[in-house]
Amino acid sequence: MTALTLEALTKTFPRAGKVVDAIDLQIRDGEFFTLLGPSGCGKSTTLRMIAGFEEPTGGRILFDQVDVTHQPPNQRNIGFVFQNYALFPHLTVAKNIAFGLEVRKLPSSEIAAQVASALKDLQLAGLDDSRVDQLSGGQQQRVALARALVIRPKLLLLDEPLSNLDAKLREETRAALRVLHTSTGVTTIYVTHDQSEAMAISNRIAVLNKGKVHQVGPPEDIYERPATRFVADFIGRNNVLDATIESVSSESISIRFVDGTEISIDPQRRAAGVQIKPGTRLGVCLRAESLHLARDDGAFSGVVKDVEYTGSVRSCLVETKVGKLQVEIPSSAGRPSPGDKVRLSVIPTAVHLVPPT
Amino acid sequence: MKTSRNAWQSKAVLLLLALVLWGYVAGPMVSTFEQSVRGIGGGIAQYADFFNFRTGAQGASMAGSVFISILSVITSGITGVFLAVLLKRWEFPLRKVCQVLVLVPIALPPLMGVEAFVLLYGIGGTFPQLLASLFHTKQARFAVDGVAGVLLVHTLTMYPYFYLTVAAALEQSDDSLEEAAYSLGASKFETWTRVLLPMLTPAVVAGALLTFMSSMSSYTAPLLFHVDTVMTQQIVIAKLNGQLGLASVVSVMLAIISVIFLIILRGYERRARYSTQSKGGGRKRTQVTSPAWKFICVLAATGSTIFLILPIAMIFILAFSVNGSWRAAPLPSRYTIENFVSLFTNPRSWEAITNSLEMSAIAVGGATLLGLVSAYVIARMRFRGKAAIDIVMMLPWALPGTVVAINLITSFANPSIFALGTVLVGTFMIVPLAYFVRFSPLVFRSTAASLAQLDVGIEEAARSLGAGWWYAFRRVVLPLLYRGIAAGALLAFVDGVGEFVATVLLYTPQHRPLSIAINDELYFANYGTAASLGVIQVLLVLIVLTVMSWVQGRENTPASIRL
Repeated sequence: MTALTLEALTKTFPRAGKVVDAIDLQIRDGEFFTLLGPSGCGKSTTLRMIAGFEEPTGGRILFDQVDVTHQPPNQRNIGFVFQNYALFPHLTVAKNIAFGLEVRKLPSSEIAAQVASALKDLQLAGLDDSRVDQLSGGQQQRVALARALVIRPKLLLLDEPLSNLDAKLREETRAALRVLHTSTGVTTIYVTHDQSEAMAISNRIAVLNKGKVHQVGPPEDIYERPATRFVADFIGRNNVLDATIESVSSESISIRFVDGTEISIDPQRRAAGVQIKPGTRLGVCLRAESLHLARDDGAFSGVVKDVEYTGSVRSCLVETKVGKLQVEIPSSAGRPSPGDKVRLSVIPTAVHLVPPT
Repeated sequence: MKTSRNAWQSKAVLLLLALVLWGYVAGPMVSTFEQSVRGIGGGIAQYADFFNFRTGAQGASMAGSVFISILSVITSGITGVFLAVLLKRWEFPLRKVCQVLVLVPIALPPLMGVEAFVLLYGIGGTFPQLLASLFHTKQARFAVDGVAGVLLVHTLTMYPYFYLTVAAALEQSDDSLEEAAYSLGASKFETWTRVLLPMLTPAVVAGALLTFMSSMSSYTAPLLFHVDTVMTQQIVIAKLNGQLGLASVVSVMLAIISVIFLIILRGYERRARYSTQSKGGGRKRTQVTSPAWKFICVLAATGSTIFLILPIAMIFILAFSVNGSWRAAPLPSRYTIENFVSLFTNPRSWEAITNSLEMSAIAVGGATLLGLVSAYVIARMRFRGKAAIDIVMMLPWALPGTVVAINLITSFANPSIFALGTVLVGTFMIVPLAYFVRFSPLVFRSTAASLAQLDVGIEEAARSLGAGWWYAFRRVVLPLLYRGIAAGALLAFVDGVGEFVATVLLYTPQHRPLSIAINDELYFANYGTAASLGVIQVLLVLIVLTVMSWVQGRENTPASIRL
């Protein structure tokens, strides 16, 4: 098993410029690690450099302290699952899975045995001689996984492998991937733009934007304690409001929003870069689920503009003086409708502070 | 994909590719330019003559070529678009048969095909004779000759450029677009003029550019219908008069025009293509119900189809005629199968067939290698000068065969390092070399098209599984590309076997290929023998097309070669 180190990894493209900007990451042996970010953030390029498909412009890539930065991809012993699976259309399912073993010149009896067990592990038994274009999306996806895993790679690299599946299959495969990771123990690096997918599946997540790492940590940290305003905006249904610290006392601080509303909160929950002293500008994160609708008490007053019923919760859009706020309330907690005048109360312990930009 | 470790190998391949393209394509063009300035009958003054359209011989020939080409675009365009719309948009009896038969002229052999037009419509031909006996007058009144003859040949051989592109566009066009137009309140007429016809514009423009280029390159039709004032004729006449310098001047001018059109065409292909997002499915045709319309449709379709396939029918009829049995009558009087027997028994015929097969096979071997390497390099590697390689690779496709021949004469009449220090002109190898130069672009284009369909991820998947570059290429890329390569190579082979235009300037009498043998037989009015050799060419094309559609599978066959 393998740990992976990226040191100041950089990639510049002639037209697009610096797509990956001096990324440092330590990925532990056996970890399920996710690179998360919007499209164009450099996550796929980073993954492709780890695989050796792209030559880095600068920096180093180490597999267990061994520098592989300039090694061609076929010498790195990695398993790569492509977004569109990239199955060989001229080969059968079994031949696709056997490809990497044949390259390694294993005896044919050995290859047959390993392919058979891979087919069984991924519920593909009986499809040995099928053409890959006869398979369903989910089956193709499992063939791609089997093909990557059967070579017992040092690293398993997954480039948005679920994005071509429909919603239900995506959740099933997500669970299957976690089980597969537990049973093989292979260090896995997963690229996605879908934050709920990343949260559900990863040991740790790195959030990327514009080629830079904004935060690295377990899903809970990323969700509850975003390190930057970008992470706060990107993860979950979050209202991030501009505010200034008004006064500081021993166990609480008072902050003032742009419209003059002041609230008093617990300053423990804040990102590393935020200084607690009067006059500091900051971003205040109010998660949609940490706001409550109330009739007459609460920090903000506003008008309900839209209500979306999704079963377990109602998502409301409330227009206030500080801006439109997203509010999520349990379905059982009332039936607001558009036009209702409401007040919003804030759970003080759920407020999180981030640097202003 | 490129890693520093194998960078020197990539550089070596690039260098080799550049050398081949310089040695056989770009270099010869440059040496023709040198010859045009220094050679006999050449000089800068000759270039000035091109812009003297009234009195200058060169100006007149350029004006003649352009005039004929513009007319050819118009007549082929009308024919091709008419047939495409008729056969693809309406359903009526005999439609399917016509749809297959209108593409038969693709199998028309280059020299014998044009001669068939002469024998059908020219002086002393079938139709003038028929009409003369009908109206009791001289047959020469009805005979087609000169520019009209050339136009007739161009129209009936070049309409596929329009037919194929427009038919493909019509097949891909989405029903929902039409329905959208109707739903927005457009009448049938408005839907046609504002949605459907504008959608065909890219196809029509591409067809027009191709027709113009082919028409400028046309040599055989002006030759057989006695039109001297076109550039290709002027080149050959100057060359036969020993004025290689003058021939080079005209070649350079013709090459410049061709290159300009090549660049326009490529720029256009890249910009203007309307792709529809529909998921395929058969286009539904409008059923013609009114009896009068049905009659008109059937008449128009069958009439034009018969007209289109007459030249091929004529070749088959003549192939069974006794040499010298055709005198002052619509058709020969006596028939035999002797012509086909003598193809195998007469050593001169048999030798011509085997010569052509051998020359074409050598050329295709080289063209396949060059086409594959250049297509792969351009698709998969990043380097400076890629656009230049792309253009030089496609250059011979745009150049008239006559110009390619002059290029090879100016550069291989003396010992050349690209001929291992020997003189190639006057040897067997000069003809395969010309075929190699002319037809490499065919393999290149069809390989590049297949490569464009091939996801880079497939190759990367192989590499990630531990395959080295060569292993991945051999086991994954080649098996997925072979259809495209085979399609290009087969087309190149067929074109090589029939090639006449460059051959006539380059061949040596000891190694006569098929087209020259036909030319010689026609000189002695041995129409039977000549036509039987023509039939061999037609059969070869049909075999190759069949093999190709079998190799490709129905869906993957490019529209341009689907029968």
